[in-house]
Amino acid sequence: MTAVSHPAGAESADPAELALLAETFRKTMSAASGQVLDLALDQLGWRDLLASLPGVAIPMVFRLLGETGAHAPILNDVMLCVAGRAPGDTVPLPYAGGSWVVWERSDWRSGALDDELPLRPVAGDGGPLPLPLGAGRRAVGWWLVGTGRAMLALARSHALDRVQFGRPLASFQAVRHRLAETLVALEGAEAALTAADALGGASAGGLAGDDELAALLAKAAAGQAALTAARHCQQVLGGIGFTAEHGLNRHVRRALVLDGLLGSARELTREAGARLVAERSARRLVDL
Amino acid sequence: MSELSVAEFRAGVRAWLDSHDLSVSGSSVSGSAEGSLDGQVAQLLRVRAALYDAGWMRYGWPASVGGLGGPAMLRAVLGEEVATRDLAEPGIYSMVEVLTPTMIAYARPSLAASAVPLLLSGREQWCQGFSEPGSGSDLASLSTRAVARSDGAWVITGQKVWTSLAQYAARCVLLTRTSPGHGGITAFFVDMSSPGITVRPLRTMHGVDEFAEVFFDEVVVPGDRMLGRPGDGWRVATDLLPYERSTCFWHRVAYLYSRLDRLVEAASSASSGSAGGLRGGGVVADDGSWDGADVAALGAAYVALHTLRCRSLVTQRRLASGGTLGPETSVDKVLLASAEQQLYDTARDLLPGMVELTSSSWRTEFLYSRAATIYGGTAEIQRNIIARRLLDLGME
Repeated sequence: MTAVSHPAGAESADPAELALLAETFRKTMSAASGQVLDLALDQLGWRDLLASLPGVAIPMVFRLLGETGAHAPILNDVMLCVAGRAPGDTVPLPYAGGSWVVWERSDWRSGALDDELPLRPVAGDGGPLPLPLGAGRRAVGWWLVGTGRAMLALARSHALDRVQFGRPLASFQAVRHRLAETLVALEGAEAALTAADALGGASAGGLAGDDELAALLAKAAAGQAALTAARHCQQVLGGIGFTAEHGLNRHVRRALVLDGLLGSARELTREAGARLVAERSARRLVDL
Repeated sequence: MSELSVAEFRAGVRAWLDSHDLSVSGSSVSGSAEGSLDGQVAQLLRVRAALYDAGWMRYGWPASVGGLGGPAMLRAVLGEEVATRDLAEPGIYSMVEVLTPTMIAYARPSLAASAVPLLLSGREQWCQGFSEPGSGSDLASLSTRAVARSDGAWVITGQKVWTSLAQYAARCVLLTRTSPGHGGITAFFVDMSSPGITVRPLRTMHGVDEFAEVFFDEVVVPGDRMLGRPGDGWRVATDLLPYERSTCFWHRVAYLYSRLDRLVEAASSASSGSAGGLRGGGVVADDGSWDGADVAALGAAYVALHTLRCRSLVTQRRLASGGTLGPETSVDKVLLASAEQQLYDTARDLLPGMVELTSSSWRTEFLYSRAATIYGGTAEIQRNIIARRLLDLGME
């Protein structure tokens, strides 16, 4: 593994170099998870990349976590970066329903639905959030989309391989339409996340709070898309998708847990509605 | 002409529209009552004429057809302003977006040069003769026949249906059958005044006779009115999809945002106003408080519209950077149709009785939104395309 460094403050990076970097991240995530992956990502330059090119680092790395099914406690780094603190520590994260969790940087086995994730519930006062959540919501949003893509890939190959009534499942329109619906939801969420990344990176232009609102809407769309993917893909996979030995259930668990992190799709959708009611008009947020 | 940036163009259009009232209320056109199709078309032609004379309508089109050049995105910006200000119904306003590129790509250059300005300037309305009674989703099975005559002219016989604004149209971009299969479809640019053409408007569920049946009884069309070559018709039909699904969609998204704003406003107005015994207001309680489920429904409509707008932006940018648009625009189409129906379902819920008991524009628009998953390729056809072309699931 080679460490990749980036000049701080660089506005963009060479696409070929980024593709190579993404490939390296992907290989690493396919081989490691948790604490080991946390250390490996640091060695690969994750923290430097986050500091210098957050608009590149967040979509690339979090989406890959979803696609590969790996996990690492690096949402902490994103939040610490927002707080102007050094990476490597932990920070309490709001969870759905007013709960708070700490994403431990160890391989502690939690009691979460997705017990691979070392999420420790902590007491929170439910008071005002100490930090803007936009960057973190974009990160979890990309992770949800990646998880959705992983589920879609599993369901797609099953539909092509599995034969019933003498035909592949993929030849049945009911199955095809579920998978098509899944792709539509994921593509839409990805577009919303891309727009939120652009607004999150631009300090000038737009109304105050546009970046936070765009991140909120994108996280809502991403959570919804991942839940849509979980429902359709589990149905397409049939019985095998309900077994513990098939990989789908890990992604389903992850999607459910990540949806609640930094606000669930349901909560954020309602918050978007409350904003709309308060402002009496819908912010356009993105323009040609 | 120096190249105009999108931002400069938008600022220019806005400033001009601020000082030139093109709204229906500022119109002297008779019969332009809201909801009347005659009024809508008259208003459309008036808006086009004014925007053409001021030059705005000519940007984004090449000089070869009377345009002032610049990127196609300028047309999306202009249409967004027109839709946001409610100057013209966006569906019929956007028809130029599919008709003009067809003429540029397939008509003889001299024909395109003389005809397109008639359309852009609002002097003429045109229509598109594609669907037939026996050919809806399966468009390639169309059977309106064109037979070559010895003098080079073609004789056309058959029937079209769902032809928008045919009763107002001076010309028709018409798909005909000249030989079997996808490769046997041929397009013509037909004068609607030709002997043998009969137009019969269709009554629709939402009460606007926007669509018509068009009958062709041995209609003679000169050979130089063919668009492209014999057999190019299927390409003519598929080539226009990128235009429909980029610029037209951007217009429609802008329109739907204006309706979401209007919905929030109307639903907020509590019990103020009444229409013949109807409470007439929205769902807000007298003390101004909202029910949580209503707030959530508005939020869901907003998330869907925002997602659609972001996706449409991605598509616009891909087109602007020289990329070609293909089956991935079916994703845009599904997002648009779903968001539109969700918005109007929410409107019906949050403005109780408005659709059912009053003859407001909410009723017309709610009913029209039911067609969003049908026209321009049904939701099922879009999902078939996504499954086969984007997910590579093979044939059914």
